[in-house]
Amino acid sequence: MSEEEKKSLWQNIRETVYGMAAHDMSRAALRTRASMEHLFILITMGDLLGIPILPPYYSLRLLPYVVPQIATWKRRMLREKDAADAMF
Amino acid sequence: MALKDIFLQHPDRRYIMFGGGGGVGKTTFSAAAAYWLASQGKKVLVFSVDPQASLTDIFKQDIFGKGPVKIMHNLWAQEIDADKHIKAYQQEIRQKILDMYGMPAVPEEIENYIQAASAEPAMEESAMFDAVVDVVMKGDYDYYIYDLVPLGHALYYLSMAKVYDEWINKVTKLREEMREYEEMVSRLQHKKESEQDQILKELLYIKGRINTSAGILTDKAKTAFFFVLIPEAGVINDTQKAAKLFAQFDVPLSGYVVNRVIPHDLLGQNIPEYLRHRIAMQDQHLGKLQASFGDQVLARAPEMERDVTGLPMIEKLAGIMFA
Repeated sequence: MSEEEKKSLWQNIRETVYGMAAHDMSRAALRTRASMEHLFILITMGDLLGIPILPPYYSLRLLPYVVPQIATWKRRMLREKDAADAMF
Repeated sequence: MALKDIFLQHPDRRYIMFGGGGGVGKTTFSAAAAYWLASQGKKVLVFSVDPQASLTDIFKQDIFGKGPVKIMHNLWAQEIDADKHIKAYQQEIRQKILDMYGMPAVPEEIENYIQAASAEPAMEESAMFDAVVDVVMKGDYDYYIYDLVPLGHALYYLSMAKVYDEWINKVTKLREEMREYEEMVSRLQHKKESEQDQILKELLYIKGRINTSAGILTDKAKTAFFFVLIPEAGVINDTQKAAKLFAQFDVPLSGYVVNRVIPHDLLGQNIPEYLRHRIAMQDQHLGKLQASFGDQVLARAPEMERDVTGLPMIEKLAGIMFA
């Protein structure tokens, strides 16, 4: 067995263990994190949906950082029901 | 107690505010207090948070949107141009978006948002709030005199600090919780340290500014708030109501100053009945004021023979106020 194959075997074991033990946990954590991200954008950028935000001057300061997320966030906020709601 | 004693006994109260209804003489008293402090050898900045500021009129010098303008030795005045401030800020945000993502132009949706947010009345207020934070955080002066907007609005301004303070604390907390989740995922996936959260960094910066401002506006050791009023029934009622509301927002009230008191000397002269009635009416209201505020009435300024504009008249009024 070559060095590389050994490594990849070790890698495989590691990934399997991770998949069995921690993958679900990190997925759940990522999902929570994503929900929080949307909540965060809502309470700082709510104006985009017509929800008035208190200090618009300061929320504008955060705008550049959320530019890429705005589209997905709006979709999520505006859809009435989520197919995923039924699945999870 | 006299107005002068408040300043002499509490040299740490470096943030001075004159509040009151419209047209009672807030700007006049701000200018007179600034003049007196400057003549005592203190370095003073008097500035306006009112978009319809009148420091320009009182000092007979165009200072609107020009930054701190020197009026005389030790005395500077400033009127903040909120519009200019907002426009420069919008441009800064646009540039940041372009730089961060290498975009040729700001996406339409984002541009619309920038424009809409800036058109709100709350934008002007929060921009003004931030501009004031800039002014007081630099700490270049011994005294800062806020020439406030009329009552209801001033209360709103002062309460803003408290409301923003709560908002920023909540938002920052949420962001910190998000950060914890991110770190947890990084650990589970054996990744290296997740990259620094730029938003959290910005939030902490904003938080620092708001907390500083809120800290000043509600600190009795650093701040003195004076109500300006005139001896008229309506004004006294409004002031009493406002004083109760202000107390709820922890505004550090230091006392009351009465303006436009018709001099009693006139009674010895041949004056019309009309004026005698007004003097009698004012006496009655002054009596009421004394009964309800007592020691807290710190100074009485007379109705002057002409407008208080220009340094000689300001000097004259300051001499009476701080006698």
